[in-house]
Amino acid sequence: MPLLIKSGESVTHDEQVFLPLEQWLESRDQGLMLEVDDEPQAEFAEAPAIAVNFGAFNDGRGLSLAVLLRTRLNYTGDLRAVGDVHHDLVHYLVRCGYSSFELDERRDLNVALKGAAIHANYYQGSVKQPAPLKKVA
Amino acid sequence: MYRYTQHDQQFVEERVAHYRDQTERYLAGELAEDEFLQLRLRNGLYVQRLAPMLRVAVPYGTLSSEQLRVLARIARDYDRGYGHLSTRQNMQYNWPELARVPDILAELAQVQMHAIQTSGNCIRNTTTDEFAGVAAGETVDPRPYCELIRQWSTVHPEFDWLPRKFKMAVKGSHSPSVDRAAISVHDIGIAVKRNDAGDVVFDVYVGGGLGRTPVIGALIRENLPEPHLLTYLQAILRVYNRYGRRDNKYKARIKILVRAMTAEGFKERVDTEWEAIREVSPEVNTEELARISERFERPAYESLSDQTEALSAKRLAEPGFDRWMRHCVFEHQVPGYASVMLSTKVTGIPPGDVTDQQMEAVADWADRFGHGEIRISHQQNFVLPDVRQDALETLWKEAELHGLATPNIGLLTDIICCPGGDYCSLANAKSIPVAEAIQQKFDDYDDLYDLGPIDLNISGCMNACGHHHVGNIGILGVDKKGAEFYQISLGGNSHTDATLGQILGPSFSREEVPEVMGKILDVFVANRNGEETFLQCYRRIGIEPFKERVYAATH
Repeated sequence: MPLLIKSGESVTHDEQVFLPLEQWLESRDQGLMLEVDDEPQAEFAEAPAIAVNFGAFNDGRGLSLAVLLRTRLNYTGDLRAVGDVHHDLVHYLVRCGYSSFELDERRDLNVALKGAAIHANYYQGSVKQPAPLKKVA
Repeated sequence: MYRYTQHDQQFVEERVAHYRDQTERYLAGELAEDEFLQLRLRNGLYVQRLAPMLRVAVPYGTLSSEQLRVLARIARDYDRGYGHLSTRQNMQYNWPELARVPDILAELAQVQMHAIQTSGNCIRNTTTDEFAGVAAGETVDPRPYCELIRQWSTVHPEFDWLPRKFKMAVKGSHSPSVDRAAISVHDIGIAVKRNDAGDVVFDVYVGGGLGRTPVIGALIRENLPEPHLLTYLQAILRVYNRYGRRDNKYKARIKILVRAMTAEGFKERVDTEWEAIREVSPEVNTEELARISERFERPAYESLSDQTEALSAKRLAEPGFDRWMRHCVFEHQVPGYASVMLSTKVTGIPPGDVTDQQMEAVADWADRFGHGEIRISHQQNFVLPDVRQDALETLWKEAELHGLATPNIGLLTDIICCPGGDYCSLANAKSIPVAEAIQQKFDDYDDLYDLGPIDLNISGCMNACGHHHVGNIGILGVDKKGAEFYQISLGGNSHTDATLGQILGPSFSREEVPEVMGKILDVFVANRNGEETFLQCYRRIGIEPFKERVYAATH
């Protein structure tokens, strides 16, 4: 059974269903399942939850897609990373706007939870922290 | 040079702790090989043919004497007593032990250094002119922009998992004929300049690069206003991250995407993206730029005058000093000072290799004769940016003793060369012995000076780490049925009006290469008009005379 992290905590149970785009267009009250190379469309903002499926953990397209969903469509619902989600890379996902993570059961939940906060501050702005760091001496 | 803020320091320390944890989990079998690979690459650790290689970032090639002493100590304590200056102005160690890399990184962090993003499919160290900030004729210093890009690209949330590696170079404002940063052969090349109103603006080139498919970058935006630098980069990176090919690593660089879309089509995509972010993104921050610029303290130059007469007398008395002055000493912005190139290109030593003792000597000279600053050039030499002119003779004598005063900067034997088949698992052929054989054949300085400036670049395989495509003479190691052969190209140029070399013809065995070089140079000498350089002569007469001579039937 996959591991799930939501709002920074481990969750054991989740009822959310995600439908592939074609099916979702027919029943928009369900969650929407996107692939990393999908183009964001305005109507996606209606979905109660969106999952992005990472075919490979190092596929950075899923990061840009999340940023576009959050900043271009101003999507505010749950945005979930699913598929090959790597527990060491959760901090990138969080900063690009993902709010929940489904990890394969071989992954280390503790690393994933801890991994969201490796650095106290980052240089750039992000979805999570839009203003770039004001640095002091 | 740039000094870390408290935040910069905290960031590198957190990174060391994080990587130490990852290394420990890997060694305990909790992290799979292919997953750890991606993490260690982003911390500079690359596994070569014989051992791991650790590439330490030297941002835009600038080091303090204190930092160089630590690099020397690391070479001694964790390696075999030497390091290698890379064509990206970084320092590489060839023999570190994987388990001890976190300790090395911790030592680096103590002197404001790191190895973040020196490998892997991410934004690499930004390079620039090795004389940035001190070059005579420079009107805008590129280093604050390089540092701005360094900060922006460090663990960028969106752009650390690109289709392929990504290299940027920035050149300062100069007369258009000066480009020591080779900006047209980078994924993004940025030329800093001032517009008529006196404001800083940028020309942005995209899609240049070497490797299997060499391409000269296309100019996609002129006169980009300073406050928009980062939003524009963000737009380019986003288009590349989303649409660059990920199915074939040999077609994954941005140059392939630019070619597929055409430069015009790519520019349109970028402009559309840029329009959407430029007004809302807070990334661009002139205040921040001002803060960064402040942290580049200008050294306390003494009020001196040029020593032209005193130096002339010494040069007359000492021909060796005269040669060195002519080829290794460069004009400085400030009267009474000069910049000095310390050549690592000594026959018998791999280009760019430097020992711990040499590093310590260079650090001492930087303190005694300048302001404690050192640069690494992309031609794999050390540079002392500030040397008082009255100290030049002393420096020359000491540099001679340490094998760092070979007066061959810019000449045939100042060879750019990758580590090649001696170290690298990708290489088809060895490159270092080829460089050595050429240096041995052409060991007469008078002949080398007569030939004038010639860029000779050698790569051990088509990944082109030795930049063979842009050498006036380029040599590429190729594999022919399991044997090492060398293909020669002519007419490449990495400076302003960059061009890619043209292949001369069928390749040669390693033994033949020095002799072929001799023939190529004979053709040049026979056809040369006056003081024409090799490149000028080649451009005038074309490749045919060279072909005829090199491939003429032997009698």
